[in-house]
Amino acid sequence: MNVSRIRALRGPNLWTRHTAIEALVKCDEHQDDLGLIPHFEQRLRNLFPGMGALRPTERGAKMGVPHALEIATLHLQSVAGCPVTFSRTTPTPEDLVYQVVVEYTEEEVGVMALEFAQKLCACALNDQPFDLDTAIKSLRDLDEDIRLGPSTGSIVDAALNRGIPYRRLTQGSLVQFGWGSKQKRIQAAEIDATSAIAESIAQDKELTKKLLFAAGVPVPHGRPVEDEEDAWVAAQDIGFPVVIKPQDGNQGKGVTVNINTKEEVFAAFQNAKRFKDYIMVERYLPGNDYRLLVVGDKLVAAARREPPFVTGDGIHTVKALVDQVNADPKRGDGHATSLTKISFDEVAIARLKEQGLHADSMPAKGVRVILRNNANLSTGGSATDVTDDVHPEVASRAIEAAQMVGLDVCGVDVVCETVLRPLEEQQGGVVEVNAAPGLRMHLNPSYGKGRDVGEAIVSRLYPAGEDGRIPVIAVTGTNGKTTTVRLCAHLLRAQGLRVGMTNTDGVYVNGRQIDDGDCSGPRSARNVLMHPDVDAAVFETARGGMLREGLGFDRCQVAVVTNIGMGDHLGLNYITTVEDLAVLKRMIVQNVSPTGMAVLNAADPYVAAMASTCPGQVTYFALDAHHPVIATHRAQGKRVVFVEDDQIVAMQSSMQVRIPMVDIPLTRRGILNFQIENAMASIAAAWAVGIPWEIICKGLSSFVSDPTAVPGRFNVFDYKGSTVIADYGHNPDAIKALVQAVTNLPAKRRSVVISGAGDRRDEDIKEQTRIIGNVFDEVILYQDACQRGRVDGEVLALLREGLQGASKTEKVQEIYGEFLAIDQAMNNLKPGDLCLILIDQVEQALSHIMKKVNETAA
Amino acid sequence: MSHPDIQILRIRYLRGPNIWTYRSVIEAWVDIGVLEDFPSNLIPGFYDRLTTWLPGLIEHRCGIGERGGFLMRLKDGTWAGHVMEHVALELQTLSGLETGFGKARETTTRGVYKVIIYAVQEKVGEQSLLLAKELVMAAINDTPFDLQAHLNDLKDTVDEYCLGPSTGCIVEAANDRKIPSIRLTEGNLVQLGYGDKQRRIWTAETDRTSAISENISSDKDLTKQLLKQCGIPVPQGQVVNNADDAWRASQEIGLPVVVKPSDSNRGRGVSLSLKNEANIRAAFEIASRYGTEVLVERYVQGDEHRLLVVGDKVVAAAKGETAYIQGDGKHTVEELIELQINSDPRRGPTEDFPLNSVRLKDHPQAVLQIESQGFNAKSVPEQGVSIIVQRNGNMNNDVTDLVHPEVAATICLAARVVGLDIAGIDLVAQDISKPLNEQDAAIVEVNAGPGLLMHLKPLHGQARPVGRAIIDHLFTNNENGRIPIVGILGSVQTTLLSHLVAWFLHLSGKRVGLACDEGLYMDQRKVVSTDARDFSMGERLLINRTLQAAVFQTSPWHICQDGLPYDRCLVGVVTDMKREAWDLSDHDISSDEKFKSVMRTQIDLVLTNGVSVLNAEDPFVVDLAQYSDGDVIFYSTDPDNDVMKTHRAEGRRNVYYRDGHVVLARGGQETLLFHLDFPPIAMRIKQDGFNLSTLLAGVACGWALDIAPLLIRAGLKNFGQKNSISPPIDIRTIAS
Repeated sequence: MNVSRIRALRGPNLWTRHTAIEALVKCDEHQDDLGLIPHFEQRLRNLFPGMGALRPTERGAKMGVPHALEIATLHLQSVAGCPVTFSRTTPTPEDLVYQVVVEYTEEEVGVMALEFAQKLCACALNDQPFDLDTAIKSLRDLDEDIRLGPSTGSIVDAALNRGIPYRRLTQGSLVQFGWGSKQKRIQAAEIDATSAIAESIAQDKELTKKLLFAAGVPVPHGRPVEDEEDAWVAAQDIGFPVVIKPQDGNQGKGVTVNINTKEEVFAAFQNAKRFKDYIMVERYLPGNDYRLLVVGDKLVAAARREPPFVTGDGIHTVKALVDQVNADPKRGDGHATSLTKISFDEVAIARLKEQGLHADSMPAKGVRVILRNNANLSTGGSATDVTDDVHPEVASRAIEAAQMVGLDVCGVDVVCETVLRPLEEQQGGVVEVNAAPGLRMHLNPSYGKGRDVGEAIVSRLYPAGEDGRIPVIAVTGTNGKTTTVRLCAHLLRAQGLRVGMTNTDGVYVNGRQIDDGDCSGPRSARNVLMHPDVDAAVFETARGGMLREGLGFDRCQVAVVTNIGMGDHLGLNYITTVEDLAVLKRMIVQNVSPTGMAVLNAADPYVAAMASTCPGQVTYFALDAHHPVIATHRAQGKRVVFVEDDQIVAMQSSMQVRIPMVDIPLTRRGILNFQIENAMASIAAAWAVGIPWEIICKGLSSFVSDPTAVPGRFNVFDYKGSTVIADYGHNPDAIKALVQAVTNLPAKRRSVVISGAGDRRDEDIKEQTRIIGNVFDEVILYQDACQRGRVDGEVLALLREGLQGASKTEKVQEIYGEFLAIDQAMNNLKPGDLCLILIDQVEQALSHIMKKVNETAA
Repeated sequence: MSHPDIQILRIRYLRGPNIWTYRSVIEAWVDIGVLEDFPSNLIPGFYDRLTTWLPGLIEHRCGIGERGGFLMRLKDGTWAGHVMEHVALELQTLSGLETGFGKARETTTRGVYKVIIYAVQEKVGEQSLLLAKELVMAAINDTPFDLQAHLNDLKDTVDEYCLGPSTGCIVEAANDRKIPSIRLTEGNLVQLGYGDKQRRIWTAETDRTSAISENISSDKDLTKQLLKQCGIPVPQGQVVNNADDAWRASQEIGLPVVVKPSDSNRGRGVSLSLKNEANIRAAFEIASRYGTEVLVERYVQGDEHRLLVVGDKVVAAAKGETAYIQGDGKHTVEELIELQINSDPRRGPTEDFPLNSVRLKDHPQAVLQIESQGFNAKSVPEQGVSIIVQRNGNMNNDVTDLVHPEVAATICLAARVVGLDIAGIDLVAQDISKPLNEQDAAIVEVNAGPGLLMHLKPLHGQARPVGRAIIDHLFTNNENGRIPIVGILGSVQTTLLSHLVAWFLHLSGKRVGLACDEGLYMDQRKVVSTDARDFSMGERLLINRTLQAAVFQTSPWHICQDGLPYDRCLVGVVTDMKREAWDLSDHDISSDEKFKSVMRTQIDLVLTNGVSVLNAEDPFVVDLAQYSDGDVIFYSTDPDNDVMKTHRAEGRRNVYYRDGHVVLARGGQETLLFHLDFPPIAMRIKQDGFNLSTLLAGVACGWALDIAPLLIRAGLKNFGQKNSISPPIDIRTIAS
């Protein structure tokens, strides 16, 4: 078995909405049917008992080793704790070659699982042992390492519930929500509005106390001290008991509490000094440790925190008691559970020593032995939810503390006997405020109710009703994509939106090109969605990227499919038929938001059929007002766009808008059918995102299809009294549309300059000249350096073949070199002639043509 | 003959506006003893010694009002206290502080003077005063005095306790816009504005500078990735793990390359333009000392620029200067650096110098730079050979006016992508006046909390008002960071009056702070139950980020003791000027005239758009009206009061009592607010012991604060009532 071309499909893709690993698997002949490999399945199950049932993707199909690989990859992940469920194996047109697709939640874990599954299958085939435990541990460790931590995870989950898109910016906890100008960032439980100054203040305990005191929030008195003696003086001034701790430490390191004697002061000072240079002496507040979580101006959760302890029974040693407690299945090793195992380390031993105990002491029955000073969950402490107990006055103090420091998300540490009564009544106080507080104790407290703090933080970022999305229009199809993309973008800009646009020529933001080359893939789309100046986006969504990586977005507001026609690029990447292509291209329709719109060409049966897969609404467009699909849709009171009396008509129930073709220069007063279709698609898309009609009309009238606005898309020039049209058309449907347009244009004599792209199927190349031969008087075939995998002359031969038996063509020339061919054609033009030049190197060819045109004009 | 020492009896730091000036001062009581009999003209050689040590005294105008004024006084004869004042000020000037205000005044005790000097910071003021005493005594007794050593000490104190230059320029710009400021630490954390209108800065960070964005900016690789996604040119590069990896990556990227740590800033550990394997390996070792990860990047040809973005504008741009040496065939590279680079007086070891000096042992990158040109510290380059020593050197040349608008747009986009409101962006470009896509150019770094000094003190070209730009970013044109502040001064029922005014403000929907003699209140909550009229209590209200208005009761004693906690107020109230009501003996306020200079402080602080509320029945109070920059509202129980008549004739506002009615009058226009027989209000007066005059003062304050008459009336009705919305006070207790 050979596994090649492993791809990570990072967005919705041909197979699933989930992220997935796609691998091309070629098996040996005898591996194609599990039923014919003796003992394979049994051996596999012995090696990996947790492996799920082998189910064929299609009923009754035979299953081979690739299927086993698929199921093993899926279940290895799920046993390691990843919530994955989707997988499938699909045969390709090639014998013994399958595409295996398995969902993943973390790309690296998915890839690793595939590797282990390969080994597993190999071991089962060769009857060798497989170390399952190590494999699962590796997967689990990797997953714990790279997946989001519980705090960040809870916020991301809350965002997903609200339909807010997210993207991780690093391997760490830095996450971006929303798109374009609506993007927001978080880093663990910190949001981007949190100022660096507030964070610095929170880290400076003295300054924090000073500010809280100013605001009338009770805080323990204290001051920084120079040395032990000074600490002793300070302790006497402040009054016992006191606390000694590092000034800007964290996680309770170096903190000693409830100090009453000079000896204790000295010892505590030395202890603190081990961690930081600046040491504080403070009044010790008696009572419990509480953590109050403030988000914005609300208290959203509160927990009482207790340090890890064991209770003596007079029989067991401390060590044994700790082991007993740690045996509790609720206590885990990491962050996943509501309690963590008590660390029995030197800190614990030191704490025991303070109580006159050691690891083998046998505390009497009922004696509480504390194993740490701080109550952090990560070292075995516990948290009890007390959110509903917090007295409003206590909540107010916590909120005031957060606001005074300037933290939007703030963990306020309070020490008091009880949160049921105001702090002032019980000498309680705020001892610390924390930026980026841990959320685990509130999400999954050891005792009591979990609180949806993630949602509280998300609400701080996006008020109810906002999802951080900007309008996204995705455009696909065989022809007209680029013009439609550009026109859609133009209409959105007319509305005053800053538009990000990707197409085969580059990435544009608010009219500026920020990247060039073919940018119709998911990477470019993601870049646009990352750009802070983008209010709306229009993406040309080409097949290559969809196959390679899936979509660059989780869903779009509008999906436009211009046509499928006879298809293009057929035969590449196992997309062999027009049906395959339609399945691929309908991907954007399937991923329309439930409140979104698919704009579909009613006249193309493949496209029209996509409607059934759209989660949102559908707008149909077609030239023919009476096309049955249009007529039905219209009768149902749904949106349609069609042509009637030289007007484009947009209609829904009794509402209708008519835009005269003369006001849409793109259509050349209505003679260019393919441009009318592009205009209708764009109108429908703009309508779907709610652009007002007067703006749509204005935008249509100001859109020109010149080489700067839409290079290589029906650019028309006047050249010495003749008409020259440059176009990038390179498939039968494009040629058909061009031919229709050219026939509508008056001309004495029509000529065409054409080449063929080598990466198309033979019949597609031939078909192009076959169409042309019935319309053009003269054909200039050219061949250029780039033959896309064909041998010299091969394409020309195919083109010539297509011209056999042409009804119109009288003269055929062959020229080597695109520019020479253009020169030849243009030099022969006489007034009244028309020449269609199908350019290949768009930019260079256009500038070559423009230069010639300008020379004569001058 | 030797004169006995001047005695400094006491030193007070008046932090807020005081009887001398609006600004903070040191007030020292100085006993010059027998020197009272020896004015300056009677001490031989004193003038010469003093002016030799401090030639700058010629700039002191003193009372004369012209240059050399103080020296004239010194020649003609003036007393030691006065001389100390000028010497202390001159010492502050010499230690780099702005020249300030000073005064010396006799007290009622012979030979004892009050010496007042402007002091931006307490410790600095105190030290300069003590130093002034030493210096004056040395000049008097003709003993040696090591001025330079003492000045260095003073400069150290200035460095330790005063704001750094970046923060300083921002605070100065705030002052220019009349935005108040409070230092929150001994460091550079400063609050601009008061209460809920405040903003905070910490050097060149603001409270809008996102902590996450700062983290992003300190991760160079992530920053580059984000910028690149948005189409901003960045040098191609990669993170490398070891020296081998660095060399491999360099070959992949193409030489020359830059090697730098991914998470340090200010050029630490960065080596530029490396062309060979040995240098690249060495540069890796240097970089790995400064950061957790090391980046190798394509070396971009061009000059380093630093562009400062504030808000969404490029407000300053500086171009780096390359430091190089010229061989002479005699000296070693090391010597040439001393001779040709470090000899520049602008170079020095500290931040005060505009340029850093270059010491090869502290600058491994310079060593690499020199080695990459085929030399080392000990080589003796030949005559005419020039060697580059430092490329990423100091940003000396202001080029703000040259920045092409498209470059500025891209730079602002970079700051936005990272999410910083203030950013220093490092750009390598050949010509900053041309669009970036027309040249080899790249953004190499985005820095949070950028230094401002290079823009404030460029060596070449114009200084840029970057402090002002930051202030304008924090406060729009019509914002000044102020909340309504009411200051109340007098001896009769001012506690009650403060509560009443705070109550009106509360009812108008504001969260109000109140500092008075029986406690400190924040939004109706009593936080402190002792006298809260001192400076630090009052300041707590201004620091509180939630309060929207504040009322301060004060006394002449507190004004003398600390100065007032706020710089200006919207409403200043003086109810009476009974000198006998106050014991001010410990401040030597012993005449009506001095008493008035204390009391006028309250009215001096009234803003031009503010109002002074004055009791028209007290002629001394009425006299304060002349000091009010803002409007004046008089109040009186007598509708025919003469002062009010004149005031009314000018079309201005009065509040008075007539025929049972409380009347608001503007010129001839009258509004009858309520009748005193109205039961709840009658009760205020009869049972709660409210003086009619206090009630009128309260009404006048309400009017001065633009509180609707209906609300004032309603407020009076339920003020102090035993119901849930009333203030938590017992009116009868505080009224008595």
